[in-house]
This record gives sequence, structure tokens and C-alpha cells, in this order.
Amino acid sequence: MRDRAVVRHVVTFGRILREAGLEVGPQRLQDALNGLDRVELARRDDVYWTLRQTLVARVDDLAAFDSAFTAWFERAPVRPPMRAVEQPQPIRPSVAFGERPKDDGSAPDGELQSKGWSAEEVLRQKDFASLSPGELEQVKKLIARAGACRPERRSRRLRPHPRGRELDLRRLVRGSLSTGGDVIERSFRRRKTVPRKLVLLCDVSGSMEAYTRALLLFVHAVVGSGRGVEAFAFGTRLTRLTPELAERDPEKAVAAAARRVVDWTGGTRIGASLKAFNDEWGRRALTRGAVIVIASDGWERGEAALVGQEMARLARAAYAVVWVNPLKGSPEYQPLAGGMRAALPYVDRFLPGHNLASLEGLGEVLAGIERRHAA
Amino acid sequence: MSTHYDSIDELSQALLDASYLPDRGLATALFLSLELEKPLLLEGEAGVGKTEAAKALARAQGARLIRLQCYEGLDVAHAVYEWNYSRQLLHIRAAQEGAVSEEELFGPEFLIRRPLLEAIASEEPVVLLIDEIDRADDEFEAFLLEVLSDFQITIPEIGTIQAARKPAVVLTSNRTRELHDALKRRCLFHWIGHPALEREIEIVRLRVPGVPERLAAQAAAFVQGLRTLDLAKPPGVAETIDWAQALAALGRQELDAELVESTLGSVLKYHEDFETVRDAALARLVEEARAVAR
Repeated sequence: MRDRAVVRHVVTFGRILREAGLEVGPQRLQDALNGLDRVELARRDDVYWTLRQTLVARVDDLAAFDSAFTAWFERAPVRPPMRAVEQPQPIRPSVAFGERPKDDGSAPDGELQSKGWSAEEVLRQKDFASLSPGELEQVKKLIARAGACRPERRSRRLRPHPRGRELDLRRLVRGSLSTGGDVIERSFRRRKTVPRKLVLLCDVSGSMEAYTRALLLFVHAVVGSGRGVEAFAFGTRLTRLTPELAERDPEKAVAAAARRVVDWTGGTRIGASLKAFNDEWGRRALTRGAVIVIASDGWERGEAALVGQEMARLARAAYAVVWVNPLKGSPEYQPLAGGMRAALPYVDRFLPGHNLASLEGLGEVLAGIERRHAA
Repeated sequence: MSTHYDSIDELSQALLDASYLPDRGLATALFLSLELEKPLLLEGEAGVGKTEAAKALARAQGARLIRLQCYEGLDVAHAVYEWNYSRQLLHIRAAQEGAVSEEELFGPEFLIRRPLLEAIASEEPVVLLIDEIDRADDEFEAFLLEVLSDFQITIPEIGTIQAARKPAVVLTSNRTRELHDALKRRCLFHWIGHPALEREIEIVRLRVPGVPERLAAQAAAFVQGLRTLDLAKPPGVAETIDWAQALAALGRQELDAELVESTLGSVLKYHEDFETVRDAALARLVEEARAVAR
């Protein structure tokens, strides 16, 4: 006979956990109760482990569980959910995205249009920094299309294919049944291709402000293209954005990402951010065999040597490293900034990312990237 | 019948007898996994003893350990079953014309059992270890989900094979990626962290019989010190054990800077880490470790 007090406790505790953001379904509660039936309820340790092992499924939730458990078990007043709800904070409209007078240096547009270029082509070449909100709205869809390309790798799995290289023995044996073991028709299999892991790191510091929004829209489209994509933002610290950018609606996703990032339009510490990335994610082999895309202008406030060191670590594990630098869109640009110069030796492809055309180019590079390129 | 444990303490003792020193959390996890007949998902840094826990459980239970090492591209042919095609062809050839029926050809004698089928079909108690599940790809994880919910495997030519007894299942993951929620819902979850100093000393003494007490304590303390540094790959318990074995083989009684420098390769697997420690922290850590056990 199960003690009703225990049931009530566990159900209440489940509710506390849900408020703290954990996913606690009825099956988990059932497991917890079944588990508690089998351990000594007088031992705090055993109760703790039983509840933790049945109710928590992710390492990231352990801290929330621990504080909820302390609060519940020791009857301390329950603290509010772990992740403090921040004030929804709209993306600050930057100067670049703000309305600007029509007669302000817009001669190139007019010129191009008069030569009969399509409006789409004009938008395609126009620097993100000088798009009006209306234009950005138009570009949004095209960015989403550009981001839908994924690098592929050949899987070790095989599937039937008339021009495959490996014999499909299962079919062959079946086929030869009627011929007494003589193989008349040969069946072949070939490796299929599957999407390669892709990791995008987007610089959201102040110096990138004019491009951040467009780049995040691109990243959002890539994240939406299937599994195996991870997205991060960095300025002075690293923030994982994959869950936020998994939201379908691009506007909502980018807004959620902006809320999540605490150092939006702040300073830049590329080296330290890359180190944090390598330490936490590289060690877990997220980078192994992956295509890494870093979008940044390479302005480093910290030490450039650290950038080089961490890029070396990253490049060793990755399949290919692509650096997207909006400044490269300008013909006079030279990679002289300390951070950029330190990073370049480890970059396989160095691309601009200042307008739609360059993002489309990036999409094509990603879709076609096959083997390591020399920088 | 596999061994039944009445309490967590009883299981702990059985594991200890099998040369594995579990902490209370891990013992509880294994106990609940057996009691509730649910797979146990173990996560933690490399080298904290995830795989070893499953092996120890098998030893303690006197059960056979069946291990499925996962990798990218792992497929049904390597995880579940495959037909022995060359034998099938030979069989067709040897028989008189038209004498071989399809049922005969796709019968049990031509079936090669891979780990999952082996574990499901086994009559004896087994511990099924699905190692580094995060390395397998999504399709395989989805397939595994099916196997772990029903403990049955369907082979089109033969039919469905149902587990006579549910095997104990341990999955390990290094968290290179998040696993599907659906798979996690099937499992109990336990995170293994690095052990505290006292426990690490005990583990070393248990796993390296004959190691001088002082040396075991100093080695464990030194490795604990290494973990506080900013290393690319902090050493796990497995490294401590390897290292203590090497030190004991050299016949040493205690640590000194020279000894550490010449043997540190079995603890630190990255050249950068080795350099960092040698140049910056070695002398201090040796001093601190020696202070633990004089």
C-alpha cells in the first residue's frame, strides 16, 4: 500500500520542477514513486538519488533540481524558477536599420535600376548596413533560402543503387534462389550521403551590430534545415543559441536569441570565447568532423595570440573552418586587425558576408564543401 | 535467474567484491535500474568509469557482458543481425536443383547474431552495454528506442523474437550531442562526476593491488590538483589508475618532481596540457600532493 503522503509529496515536487523548467511527465513521476517504494525513505541520500535519477534527464537541469530538492526536502520557501524571466527586450533598432533620408547617398540604387537591373538584384548586392527596414523585410526570405544549404558527408550506410560499387549480398542470395545458386543479376549498393555536422558561431559585439541581424537570420535558416546544426553567439562570452533559433518564426527566433545573449552589442573577446567553446563543446567532440562557420570582423579586445592558439585547436578537430567577415566586402579591406590576422592561418575559406549575394555564396560553399582547402 | 539484491547496500557490496567501488549515487542508479527494469543512461566526462560500471555489474551478477560499441554509421547489420551470405550461396549450390526453399535459407543456422539480438535472445542473464550511444546517428537511436521499449526484435524472414528475460541495460554517453527526449524518457539518468579525494584514493588502492598507501594517496591528490587547472582534457579516474600502476611498477614509494615529469604522459594525453603543467604547475602540485600523505 503506497503511502498517500509520499504520492502527494512527489506530485507537488514534480510541479515545482516543472516550474523550474524541467520536463516532468507522468511516466517520470510513476518511475519516481516506484523507485521510492524500493529504497529507504529515511535516508535522505537515497531519496535524493532516486528522485534525481528518475526525474532529471539532462545535466543542464541538475542545478535546478538540486535547488528545488533542497527547498522541498528541507521545507525552505520555494525559490522562483531558475531561469529568471528577463524583460522582453526588443532588438535595439540600430542606426543601420533605421529609416534614413531617401536622398542620402542613394545614387547607386537609382543608377542600377535605370540600367534595368531587377530590384532583387539590387538588394542582393546592397550592403546589409545600408538596408532600410522595408528592404530588410524583402531580403529576409532570400536569406532564409540561402541558409537552407547543408554540407554533406558520405555515410557508412548503404542503400540499393544501380551504379553502386558494393554488392548487395542479401538481394543477390535471394535472386539466386531460383537459379540454383548461380548469380545472374548482380545487385549493388552505394553509400548514401547525410548532412555533415555544422556549427555556426556568430559575433554579436558592437562592431558587428549592422550585420548581426542579417547573419542571425541566416543562422536561423541553417538551424531550421535539419538536425546536426549548433548555433552560438559570442561577444565577451559564449552563448548557445540552438534552442532559441529552433523556433520556426524568424522574427520570434531572433528576438528570443537577442534576449538570451547578455553581451549583445558589447565588447569582443574572440580568443576567450573560442576557448570557452573548445573547452566545453570541443571536448565533447561537437567539432570533430564538423564544418565550423565563424562570422566576425576579427576585432579582438583581448590578446591576439589566444585567438591563434584556440583557432589551431578548433582547426585540428574540424573538417573545415569557414570565416565570414562582413568587412571583406569592401575592396580595400585587408585583414590587419590582430585577431583576424592570428586566425587566418587556420581558416580554410575566408568569405565576405556583407550582403545577400555573399550569404548566397556562403550557402553554396557550405553545400559543396568536400575536403579541406588551403587557406 | 540473475542475482537479486534486496537493498542498495547489498548491491554496493557485490560491486565492491567485483573490484568496483561505487558511490551511493551510482549504486542507487544501478539498483533502481535492476528493480524497475529500466535501462540506465550514464553520462559524464571521459574516464570517470561509465563503461567500467557496466562491466562491474556484469561481474557482480555473474552475468555475461554483451557490449555494443557505437560509432557513426552503425547499422542494423552490425548491431542486430546479418545473414551469412557466403554460407547461403554454398548451401544453394550444394543442394540439388530447386531443392532449397526460402524458409530453409533464411533459417536460424544462417543467421549471424550481433550484440542486440544476442542480448535479447540470450537464455542466460546478460548485461547489455551500449557504449557511447551519442556517436551513433539519429536513425540508429530511433531503432534502439524500439528495442528498448519492447525488448523484442523483428526479423522479416523469421518473425519476432521476444526477450525471455529483460536484460540489464546500461547506456553511456559522452554528450557529444543531446540524445532524443524519447530515448531519455525510457531511461533512468545518472551523471557521474569526478570522485572526491578520499574516494579516488580508495579506488586506486582497490584497482592497483600492492600500491604503497602513501603513493596512492599522493597520486590521487596530484591528479585532483591537475583537474583544478585549465586543461584541454582533464584526467579521469582511469588515468589515475593507469598512472598509479606505472608508478607502482617502477617500485616507487612516493612522488617527486622528476618522477612525475617522466611519467606524466600516462595522465595527460595532450601535448599542450603536458607543457602547461610541466612549465607552470608541476612543482607546486607535487608539493601539495606530498603534503596530503607524508
